[in-house]
This record gives sequence, structure tokens and C-alpha cells, in this order.
Amino acid sequence: MPLQLDIASILLNGLQQGAIYALLGIGLTIILGTMEFLNLAHGALYLVGAYTGLIVFQETALTNGLLYSSGITTIGFEGGFLAALIVVPIVGFGVGLLMERFVAEPFYDRPETDQLLVTFGLALIVEETIKNVIGGNTFQSIAPQTIFGVNVSQPVNLPVVGLFPSWRLFIIVIAFVVIAATWLAIERTDFGLVVQAGTHDSEMVRILGIPINRSYSLVFALGAALAAFAGLIGASIQTLSPQIGTDQALLPAFLTIVVGGAGSVRGAIAGGLVLGLIISAMTQTYSQWAQIVLYLFVALMLVFRPEGLFGSGEVGE
Amino acid sequence: MARETTALSRRDVLKASGAAGAAGLTGLAGCAGGGGGGDSEYPSLGNYPVEGDEVVFGFNVPQSGSYSQEGADELRGYNLAVDHLNNGGGWADTWSDLSGDGVLGKTVTSVEGDTATNPDTARQSAQRMIDRDNAVMISGGSSSAVAIAVQGLCQEEKVQFQCCVTHSNDTTGPECVRYSFREMFNAYMTGQALAPVLSEEYGEDLNFYQLYADYSWGQTQQASMEKFFTEVGNWSQLESVATPLGTSDYSSYLSDVPRDETDVLVLNHYGLDAANSLPQALEAGLDQDMEIVVPLYNRLMAEAAADSIGGIFGTVDWSWQLDNSPSQAFVEEYRAEHDRAPSYAARIAYTQTMQYAAAAERAGTFYPPEVIRAMEGYEYDNAGLGSETLRKCDHQGQRDVLVTRGLPSGEQTEDRLLEVVNQTSRDKLGYACDAGPAAECELGEYGDE
Repeated sequence: MPLQLDIASILLNGLQQGAIYALLGIGLTIILGTMEFLNLAHGALYLVGAYTGLIVFQETALTNGLLYSSGITTIGFEGGFLAALIVVPIVGFGVGLLMERFVAEPFYDRPETDQLLVTFGLALIVEETIKNVIGGNTFQSIAPQTIFGVNVSQPVNLPVVGLFPSWRLFIIVIAFVVIAATWLAIERTDFGLVVQAGTHDSEMVRILGIPINRSYSLVFALGAALAAFAGLIGASIQTLSPQIGTDQALLPAFLTIVVGGAGSVRGAIAGGLVLGLIISAMTQTYSQWAQIVLYLFVALMLVFRPEGLFGSGEVGE
Repeated sequence: MARETTALSRRDVLKASGAAGAAGLTGLAGCAGGGGGGDSEYPSLGNYPVEGDEVVFGFNVPQSGSYSQEGADELRGYNLAVDHLNNGGGWADTWSDLSGDGVLGKTVTSVEGDTATNPDTARQSAQRMIDRDNAVMISGGSSSAVAIAVQGLCQEEKVQFQCCVTHSNDTTGPECVRYSFREMFNAYMTGQALAPVLSEEYGEDLNFYQLYADYSWGQTQQASMEKFFTEVGNWSQLESVATPLGTSDYSSYLSDVPRDETDVLVLNHYGLDAANSLPQALEAGLDQDMEIVVPLYNRLMAEAAADSIGGIFGTVDWSWQLDNSPSQAFVEEYRAEHDRAPSYAARIAYTQTMQYAAAAERAGTFYPPEVIRAMEGYEYDNAGLGSETLRKCDHQGQRDVLVTRGLPSGEQTEDRLLEVVNQTSRDKLGYACDAGPAAECELGEYGDE
């Protein structure tokens, strides 16, 4: 296979995977940076996003679970993907607000181990609840046939790369629009300024009279909305099952902020992209080494640059 | 074996100590040494003798993980079998060995476990069924790695294992055990059945490229495809790439398939893996440049890619569309209960339960070595696939294999996604006891030597 073709497809696949990692990483990193709160339920938010997307996107037949045994054999609204694009982040935002108020806030001043335990417990509860209510079934991915009047079910012929799934191109574009908007919101708005200041020294922000608690809620909800959005994007290309929150979201999110640096939005974006590209490049060239190289890279980052690419301090410091 | 008849097994001790609480072991020797005090004509072995009015079967299926959807349908098959064994109906009415009034006068009850599609979890779950629930038979699978792990445990514990969905050559090859039987065909037979059909359909001297799930099944699957595609159609393998079990995004693997050189892409994935890899291959437009083959179809993957499976070949264990009376009797019973056609996983689960019960009836006892002997070399034609034999030398079912092709989306119905294009006779399949995977099979002890 020609080298330029290899490089082009590695870049595209890496961008697509990296975009999901970045969305997850941004959410996790702003929560960690601002509140110093380790959220192991971040994968559960991805899961909520994926299932909300499924429900909004289409009517789906159930074959087991509590709803099925209660006589409800289908769920969903046939709302389509655009509706899901709007509803999923809103639901994620709402869930984030509730989570911050009832789960995170009581644990802000508790040891990190308590935070880990309570959020991991929450993740299990969400996963098991979905499994019991909707059923442990695997549902098919929810990619639409058309969006904005464009047919995205067929591959497009790109220069150099050749045929590439058009839906994945769309995903790359929309994910980066959301990432860019988040970055601008953090960098260019007053709210973003408070968040940034909070990640550096939340005590000082409070002393300056800024109501940082309200910002905490918003930051948490924003992080949750991004994770849910990532879940929707993931669900549009891969099958859904209750395990995806832990399998496909939680670990990549943590790896992303280890590489990018805790508390840095720029770091999460860079970390996500770097990881996406490593996975994509290794899978396409020496696939058996993909996971080994990925974790080796993260381990080397921890040894030689523990603050990450853009972090201000060591993870967990 | 003398050891089994006179000494306390670890499980005897566990059971006895559970029953006696803090009484200590000294008071138990007489209780356990006589074979558990049952109505036995044989010595204690495994969970024999079966005490009380009930006999317990353990159904160890994936209720989570990559193959969970299949596990759910297996359970439906198992539960239907238990119902028929106890109350009549289905094959219990037509198999002469079965009474429809329990097995050997005992009511069949069952326990369920979740293998999580993980060999270690599956072993723990099976161990619980054996120790806590006194199961005399465990059945399950989906994932050959799971089936192999559990059948190994069952050999150690002298408890019968009835393979459900497991398609790796290893299950009845190097990993075979005396206490396990497999009716399902294997990867070797898939290669034998598929290669002639494909070379006739697509031609000879083609290049093929394989992706395979990187565990027991996928490895033997890709080796078998390579062997038969190369031998039968004189095809050449460009590359064979392993993908970890449970991979959800295959885009990078698929990007690496050389479109201009590859004539046939073989996706050796199953269940959830295939439900991702097949649609993603089509999404990438690979079907525009080459033929795609999925050697082992299942319902989940056919449904996952329903819009695009038209013309794609593969094999299946059985199809509800088969027009013979055992198949249709089972389909009717299943439909009455679940309002749709059964998958082949449900049929294997159902068959394996019936098969064990029938063997116990023929043996006249649950004593494991006698049940095994009643099954070894057993010939039958009442399970929907024509004449079948449970071969004695490796416990591999000798049976026909169905080659199927995906229907165009316009011709599909909810249940009918595939059409059967060829029922390859068992005479054209398989291998001698000293050849192929069987050459590496050492079954091990019955337990009464």
C-alpha cells in the first residue's frame, strides 16, 4: 500500500478516534482541574449519552429487561439524529447538574479514595440500571442515512485516501466544531476565565468574591454534556451495550488527561488526538503492538513528563 | 478409578462440611464414604448420586459481554427443553428415549450463570453450579475460549458438559475432554463446506485477506480458511490480521486492506465483534471493491448489517427454515413461547439438553461414565440436521453443514435474513480420528477405570 495512502488513512482514523477521546478528556479534565474531583462515573455519562441518543434517534424493539417484562416492547421516538444532537447534550447537562449536587458536592472535601469509590459505585449503578431496565442486549449503531439533506450512508471518494465512510467524516467535523466551541468558551468568556482561575487556585477565586460554587455546577454539567455528546458520537459508529461506558470511555478519558495534563482543555484536545493517532497508526501497521505501544507511551509520559503536555502540575498532585 | 470410590473428593468434603457445620470432619467419614447415602448402584462420582426428587442442570451462558445477545437466546432454548422434559411437548413427545415426565423419574430444575464471555468468570460460575447447586450437567458456550475452560473444569469435576455454541477446532481437538460432547460443527468443517461454494461462485486463483478475532476460535477459524481456500480454489492469502476480541472500532484494520489487490475479504468475527466489523466494512465501501465473506453467521450480525448482507456467504449451524419435522416441531414450540423464529443458538441449547436427558434415560442412570458411554458413537436423525453421529474418538458431532447467503434487503423479513444455498453432506466433511484436529485429541478418563 502506498505510503501517502497509509498516512492519510491513519490521520483520518486517528482524528475520528481522537475527537471522541478529546471530548471525553475535556469533560474529565475540567471537573478534575476545577474541583479536584476524580470522576470515575465519567464513562457512565458517555453511556447515558449513547442510550439517550438511541432513544431519541429511533424506535427500538426490546427483547428483555424490566420494560419488556412490563409489556413495553419498544422504546424510542423516531426523532432522528439532529434531534439527538440537541437532546443528548441537554440531558447530559441535566444529569451533570444532578450529579454535582447530590453525588459530587458532599465529597469535595473528602479524600480522593472516597471520591473514587462513590463515583465508581455510581458508574456501576447506572450500568446495571440500564441493563436491568432496557436489557443487556446489544443494539445496533444509530448512524442516519442522511443528515442536512446529504446522504451519509455511502462512502465518499477522497483524494489520496480513496473511499472513506462519509458518516465518519461528518463525525470528525461536528466533533471538532464542538471541541472548538468549548475551547472558545473556556478561553474567551468570563465563565471560562473563572474556570481557568479555578483550576489554578480555587481558594483564591473564592476569596476574590466570585461565586465559584455556581461555576462548579456549570463546569460539572458542561463536562457531563461533553461526555454524553461523545457517547452519541460513539453510538453512531459502534454497537451499544451497557458495558461501553467502562470499556470505551472511562479508560480513554483518563489516558487522555494523563497525556494532555490535568486541568488543561488544550491538553485534553492534544492528548486525545495524540492517543487517537497512536492507536490508529499502530493498528494499521503493527496491530498486535497497538495496545502495548499505547500504554508504553502513557507510562513514558508519566515518567518523563508527569505534568502532561499542557498540564500545570502532576496528575493527582 | 479406585481413588474415586474410596476416598473423599474435595467436593464431598465441601458438601459434607457445609451440611454438618461445625461438627468437624471426623464424624463425616462414614456419611461420605458410602457414596453419599443415595440410591446408587454405582459409586459416588462428580455429583452422582442425585439425591431427592429433582435433578439440576446448569446453563452457563453469556448474559453480558460480546456474545450476550446469543446467550439470551440460548437460555430460551434451554428453558424450553426443561419445560418439555418435565411436561412433555416438542421433542420430548417424539424422541423415544424421553418420557415428558422428568428424567429417570426426577423433575428437571435448572440454574443459570453468566459467563460474561470470559473464561475465568465462566469457570467460577460453573464451579458454583457444581458445588452449590449439585448440577449433574453443565451446558453453555458462546466463545470457544469459555467452552474449553468450562469443559476442562467439568473433566476435573467429573460432571458432564454439553457444548452449546463453540466452533473452534480446539474444542474437540487438542482441548477435547471425555466429559464433553459437541454437536456443533467446527471451523475446519466450515472451511470444507464454504471453499467449494465460494470458488464456484467467485472463481479460482483469487487473493483473499483475513481479519480474525484473536482467541481460540478466531485462530483456528483463520487457519482453516487459509487451508481450504488455498487447497480448493487455489486462492492466495495476502495477509491475515488478528483483532482483539471485543474490538469495537475496526476502521483502522479495514483501512489497511489493499483494495486493488484483494478479491475476497474474510471477516472471522462473531457476535458483537461481527456486528461492528461487518457494517463498518460496508460503510467503508469495501464491498464495492471485493467480495466479503463471514464464515460463521449468527443472527446478531445478520441483523446488524441487515441492509447490506445481500449476497454475503457464510455458514450456520441450523436454520429455522429447514423443512423437516424435528426442526419445524421445535420452531413451532419456540414461536408459541416467544413469538419469533429461534436462532440456531437456541436450537443447539435445546438439543444439548434433550441429548443429555436421552442419554441418561438410555443409560438408566445419572452415573457419568455410563451416560458418556450412552452418548459415544450414538447415531440419530431426530434433531433437525439429518443423520448425525456423536463420534466416539473425539466427541465431535458428524453432521451436515449449511452454507447460507444474505438476502437482499427487499426480500428480508424479521426472521428471514439468510437463505440456505447448500446443505453440505457430512460425507463430504470432517476428518478421520487420526487426522485434522482429532489427531491431537486425548479424551481422558471416564472416572471409573
